[in-house]
Amino acid sequence: MKAKKKKKIRLLIVLAVILVTVVLVFFFGRRKETIKHMTGPLETAAGGKKITEVEKKTVTLFFLSENDDLLHPEEREVQLASSSPNDLARAIVEEVIKGSSQGKVNTLPEGTKLRQVYITSDGTAYVDFSRRIAEGSYYGSSAEMAAVYSVVNSLAYNLKSVKQVVILVEGNEKETLGGHVDLSRPFTPDFSLVAR
Amino acid sequence: MPKLSRIITLTLIGFFLFFQISFLPVAWSKTVKTVPVVRVVVEDGADYVRVRLSSNSSLVYSHRKSGNSLIVTFRALAGLKLDRQPFQSQLVRSVELAKAPDAYLVVVKLSTEDFTYSHRFKKKPFEITFEIKSKSASQPKKESSAAQKSENQASAVSPTSQPGVKEKQAEENPPAGSFSAKKTRRTIVIDPGHGGIETGAKGIFGTLEKDVTLAIAQKLKAEIEKNLNYRVVMTREADVVVPLTQRAAIANNNKADLFISIHANGSRRSNAHGSETFFLSLTATDEETRRLAYFENNENGLSEQIKGREADDLKMILWDMAQSAYLKQSSQLAEIVQSELNELLNTANRGIKQAPFKVLTGVACPAILVEVAFITNPEEEKKLQSEDFQATVAEAIYRGLAKFLQMYEKP
Repeated sequence: MKAKKKKKIRLLIVLAVILVTVVLVFFFGRRKETIKHMTGPLETAAGGKKITEVEKKTVTLFFLSENDDLLHPEEREVQLASSSPNDLARAIVEEVIKGSSQGKVNTLPEGTKLRQVYITSDGTAYVDFSRRIAEGSYYGSSAEMAAVYSVVNSLAYNLKSVKQVVILVEGNEKETLGGHVDLSRPFTPDFSLVAR
Repeated sequence: MPKLSRIITLTLIGFFLFFQISFLPVAWSKTVKTVPVVRVVVEDGADYVRVRLSSNSSLVYSHRKSGNSLIVTFRALAGLKLDRQPFQSQLVRSVELAKAPDAYLVVVKLSTEDFTYSHRFKKKPFEITFEIKSKSASQPKKESSAAQKSENQASAVSPTSQPGVKEKQAEENPPAGSFSAKKTRRTIVIDPGHGGIETGAKGIFGTLEKDVTLAIAQKLKAEIEKNLNYRVVMTREADVVVPLTQRAAIANNNKADLFISIHANGSRRSNAHGSETFFLSLTATDEETRRLAYFENNENGLSEQIKGREADDLKMILWDMAQSAYLKQSSQLAEIVQSELNELLNTANRGIKQAPFKVLTGVACPAILVEVAFITNPEEEKKLQSEDFQATVAEAIYRGLAKFLQMYEKP
């Protein structure tokens, strides 16, 4: 009888150990997975930051020419803190603000500041300017089109991930820059405005 | 000995419960994070309404006024749910959730277009508070409800357009006819660009776009009234600010048959010159295209097919892009007007073009925007100042309109 009981207890203990391990594996295994899943995007972000040396990249920017009302490409080398699309987008817009170095006509008002750029996963670039961008005394239809599409086309041309661009002013949606072009909808690039 | 087995069983249960409890918060916070809930509370104050949007997660948002709505946009979200507390309010008619391609919109619909609002923001816990005030308390309300009753007179010629507009319209609608449901005379809406502090482009001699556009618009109005049996409504007749969406609203509420926006162009190139005529270009996303296709297929029967409030909401969304249903006619109108400009003006022909102009998007009839000449070009600036040139422009536009109307005149 005693031996039978001992056997039973041993069986119970073995069963309990198995159950505990199953439970442990089940939960800890899952936890590991969720943690991996949660930190997944972060790891890549950190990976991008690992490259601390300055990167150089040639970008194509669009400005007006003296001779027609089309946008003309201008190549330029920019220095980047990282290879992230956000940093490239920021550099491109900063260069559009700086203007042409080859005697083309600038499109954005002098003194315009870039506040923020971010690109969402669905390919929308949000570009947030200081209020100065909406203060061009020359803002007729042509000037507004040039201002908007020099930014939109420059971003879309250099960044494959950018499908559309939203222009914000001081962090907010603005109806127009000077009463013409609608800023409340995202812009898709329009290369029909570019000289061929 | 049975004690031992009991202890083992209890330990097992203990283990199980421990893990369940320790993982519960993870699962819980996960569901909350994916779909944030925005709680909406509407309270009527003494002379204002307070709309409070709060959420337990922090959200990126922006806000703007659009017609009779206050729109709060929440960006870059996987989803959003509204938790609406029942309310009764004089000013707020409804609070709706709409989905845009990359954002969720909370649309606070008000009973009037004529409101101002202030906005406060608390980061933790996330809470946005809007205090909405109707600009005009009781008097204009009566006016607008009276206007709504008369079928042919539009409700929303708002106080920002001058009293002159209203008087004119009243004169032109004989009282006998004003009770018939059908509109007898057709309407052309002329939109002089800019106004008030929104001066538009500026020439080097100081000429302002807003002044030139108004001068030409007035001449065009006179020309049309002299020669055509059409009612002319101006979006502004003085040097005042009229918001762009309201210009479209004036056209739609007056059941306009044509909409002509007059502008003078500006460029950073001082040698840019010439005249051009625009119609709307669409940068429509997939979702919008679907909506537009629906609109085009249901142009006439829209209100009949969808009843009540649902139709009201849908119309509001559609109004935003009403012009898309008229692009073909708009391009024809642009072509005809541009060829008349080429004939009469001694300016370079820059042709007809498409652009995403805000003022055209909501107009529910053929609509064009004429860029008469460049105010930033000194030579053309002088031209734009001269009465003769302005009169010739008005004549050219008038001829274009008349030709277009002949094409579409129904027997």
